[in-house]
Amino acid sequence: MDFFHAHQAQHYLVLAALLFALGAAGVVLRRNAIIILMSIELMLNAVNLTFLAFARFPLVPNSPMGSFLHGHTAVFFVIATAAAEAAVGLAIIIAVFRSRTTVHVDEFDSLRF
Amino acid sequence: MEAILFYVFAAGVLGASAQVVLRRNPIYGAVSLVGAFFFLAGIYLLLSAPLIAILQVMIYAGAVMVLFVFVIMLLNLKEEELGEPKWTFWKGAGLVAVIAGTGILVWKALGPAYPGAPAIDNAVRMAGTGFGGVKAVGRTLYLASVLPFEVTSLLLLVAIVAAVVVAKGKI
Amino acid sequence: MEVTWLHLIPLLPLAGAAICGIAGKWLPKPWVYAVACVSVLLGFLIGLVAFVHLGEDVQQFHEIAWNWFAAGALHVDMAFLIDRLSGAMVLVITGVGFLIHVYSVGYMDEDPGYWRYFSYLNLFIAAMLTLVLGDNLVAMFVGWEGVGLCSYLLIGFWFTDEEKAYAGRKAFIVNRIGDFGFLIGIFVLYNQTGTVNFAQLNTVVLPLGVASVAALCLFVGATGKSAQLPLYVWLPDAMAGPTPVSALIHAATMVTAGVYMVARMSHLYVSAPGVMALVAVVGVLTALWSALIATSQNDIKKVLAYSTVSQLGFMFIGVGVGAFFAGTMHLITHAFFKACLFLGSGAVIHGLHGEQDMKRMGGLKHYMPSTRNTFLIATIAITGILPISGFFSKDEILGQALHTRAFSFLTLTPNGTSHLTWLGPLIYAVGSLAAFLTSFYMWRCYFLTFSGDYRGPEEVHPHESPAVMTLPLWILAALSVAGLVLGLPASWVHGTALEGWTWEHFTEAFFATPRGGRAEDFAPYLGYGIALIVGWAGWAVSYSLYHQRGIAGDEVLKGGWRRVLENKFYVDEFYGWLVVRPTWALARGLWRIVDATIIDGLFVNGVAAFIAWCGALARRFQNGNVQRYAAVTAVGVLALVYVFLVRGS
Repeated sequence: MDFFHAHQAQHYLVLAALLFALGAAGVVLRRNAIIILMSIELMLNAVNLTFLAFARFPLVPNSPMGSFLHGHTAVFFVIATAAAEAAVGLAIIIAVFRSRTTVHVDEFDSLRF
Repeated sequence: MEAILFYVFAAGVLGASAQVVLRRNPIYGAVSLVGAFFFLAGIYLLLSAPLIAILQVMIYAGAVMVLFVFVIMLLNLKEEELGEPKWTFWKGAGLVAVIAGTGILVWKALGPAYPGAPAIDNAVRMAGTGFGGVKAVGRTLYLASVLPFEVTSLLLLVAIVAAVVVAKGKI
Repeated sequence: MEVTWLHLIPLLPLAGAAICGIAGKWLPKPWVYAVACVSVLLGFLIGLVAFVHLGEDVQQFHEIAWNWFAAGALHVDMAFLIDRLSGAMVLVITGVGFLIHVYSVGYMDEDPGYWRYFSYLNLFIAAMLTLVLGDNLVAMFVGWEGVGLCSYLLIGFWFTDEEKAYAGRKAFIVNRIGDFGFLIGIFVLYNQTGTVNFAQLNTVVLPLGVASVAALCLFVGATGKSAQLPLYVWLPDAMAGPTPVSALIHAATMVTAGVYMVARMSHLYVSAPGVMALVAVVGVLTALWSALIATSQNDIKKVLAYSTVSQLGFMFIGVGVGAFFAGTMHLITHAFFKACLFLGSGAVIHGLHGEQDMKRMGGLKHYMPSTRNTFLIATIAITGILPISGFFSKDEILGQALHTRAFSFLTLTPNGTSHLTWLGPLIYAVGSLAAFLTSFYMWRCYFLTFSGDYRGPEEVHPHESPAVMTLPLWILAALSVAGLVLGLPASWVHGTALEGWTWEHFTEAFFATPRGGRAEDFAPYLGYGIALIVGWAGWAVSYSLYHQRGIAGDEVLKGGWRRVLENKFYVDEFYGWLVVRPTWALARGLWRIVDATIIDGLFVNGVAAFIAWCGALARRFQNGNVQRYAAVTAVGVLALVYVFLVRGS
């Protein structure tokens, strides 16, 4: 058995971790609100990947068979929620841009002390 | 074959995602993100999740990213409005924290996360049940999660109304 | 005899006070005057009717108005009692009070606060009547505190003057010290006898120790209210109030409450001979002490104030030596002539547009004859140079002191031996000296005010007061003369119609008899002779010094002695050094350290400052930069990851 098949689950999980790290780095580093939103999508997809990886390669072997597809339904809900979040988030960006003519989050600081 | 596909897709996902984070102009990021979602859909297919892969392409790469591109075009940011990257102490600390946390996660994942390697493969165990297919996922969704499903529809409705109210100047 | 109308006597002035106080500002002036005067007059008439019905068959009228409170074994009724003592007191209070009300109509006519003044005055009458009529110590204490309150209100009547407001506070606080003793006395008596009712207390025989403690505590209250050593200092300052107030409260009625109380509790006092000796000694010392101060005061009201303190001292000699009738008799006659003197001085001040300094008076007999004549009669009465009321009552006190047996059995084991037999004659001697000084300073006051030439400024034209003020003066002067009936010696009136009117006979068997028995009868002529000589001697000294030379007569005594006398023996300064300044220092310390630093600084502002400090710290994180939050969250997630994945496994 080759290396990939011997450590198949780990491959997916490491990929998810790296993807999440890229998304988190984007959120922390970038000033552009649109890119931050996209980075959040990346992080959500990393979570989705984790869901699906665990759905296929469970940690607990003797669970009821049907329950493993709950990982898939969770991804379904995450996708739906992400769509809603993107719609509202982009609407907020438009509204803010209209009043402040900027999309840089470090300039949205009216709510500080 | 499966391993080659995984490495290709993984490299595509990471490369395109890096473009999202690193590109200065968001339009390049958005297009790269579409690519990343396509590669991710491939990864999902490798994980025996055909329904989710299709949804990924349709909803993410299609609907959501169209929304992003649309907004980017709408705002039509000038070169000087894009701004220069700024480094602060906390940005550096956050980056270090992200890298360190990911390092720990990767280290733990490569370590003894799975007691018996190779892991149990549900796709193999449940090959006859249509694992990850429309019928199997649909049964789980509608039998076990009807209420969250309906609530999600309500959430989408609220989000649509909210987006309209927030983005529109005057109603 | 139980009746149902006694409560009307204090209730009518109380209603008058309420009407004047609440509606007086809007009522027409004559209505306020009418309400204030008529309510007191009605009280006087009711008291008079009750008084003339008292006789051998009806010893007292009694009414339980309502059951005030009952707690455990303690039952206190708001009950009123009118007997020969309290009946006479009621007549003095309402009678003199009514005259002073009438006088006040003229005196306070121009003051914008007249309605407030009459409300306080009526309230005072109501409280004083409660004090006198109460049939138990608690009801008496209600009146006791009520008159203290009215005294405070009226001394500080012109409260916009800081000095007068201060005098009011001083009177109130000094009285509080005495009231504290009075309260403890009530507690001791209730604790030992289980009752506060006078009638029941009179039947209880208390052991010497308990009786002494209770009598001493009550006497502390009396020294406060009746301005005796060492608590007399408030009374001279109380002259800051309107002059009719000085006449009513600080000469005729309120300050005699202590004497009345001791007389009312005579059964208690005779069972504590040591305290009686103390009462008499305090009385004679006060009489001498304040008479000395009075000799060098130039403010006419201050002279009369110290004179009042001195005369109160004489009353305490009377009750202290066991001659309760003599003390209370002097109380009544003193109410007449001292009220007359005060109102006369008020007429002088009124006629001189507020001048009180005798240096700028003189020769006023030409300008205000009625005032001068009444003042002269009252001065004769108080100095005793002619045998009218004051002569008899004061001489009765001194004669009783000379022959007293009240201090016998002053041992813890009574065995019939006499003790302190020298104390009575000593009191007599010192009291006679005080009587000499009384004659001296009162005639000094008279000569400086009315004789010689007018020394005041040109632009002030002295004028006689209106009839509404001189009429009460004449009535009081007549009473000062007629009061002699009360004091006629028994041997003179024996078998005549006047016998029933002498105070000694009238209150016979009313007061308790001292343990050593009554004072033996003494030859009145010798005592009267000495008293006349003493009185005339004072007059002669005063006449020679002041009649011609006026205020220059003071030069006979110069230097340090005069300064000491003019500064009232520096008692105020001594109290200031002993009590007031340490209290102020303590209060400042409490304010600065406990209140300002610990409570305000540490607890109130300290907590707020700590929260503000925490907030200032926390708001540095709340800088509005979302990315900062994300970065901090990332660091936090790293910490969680470290804790759960690295250390947890």
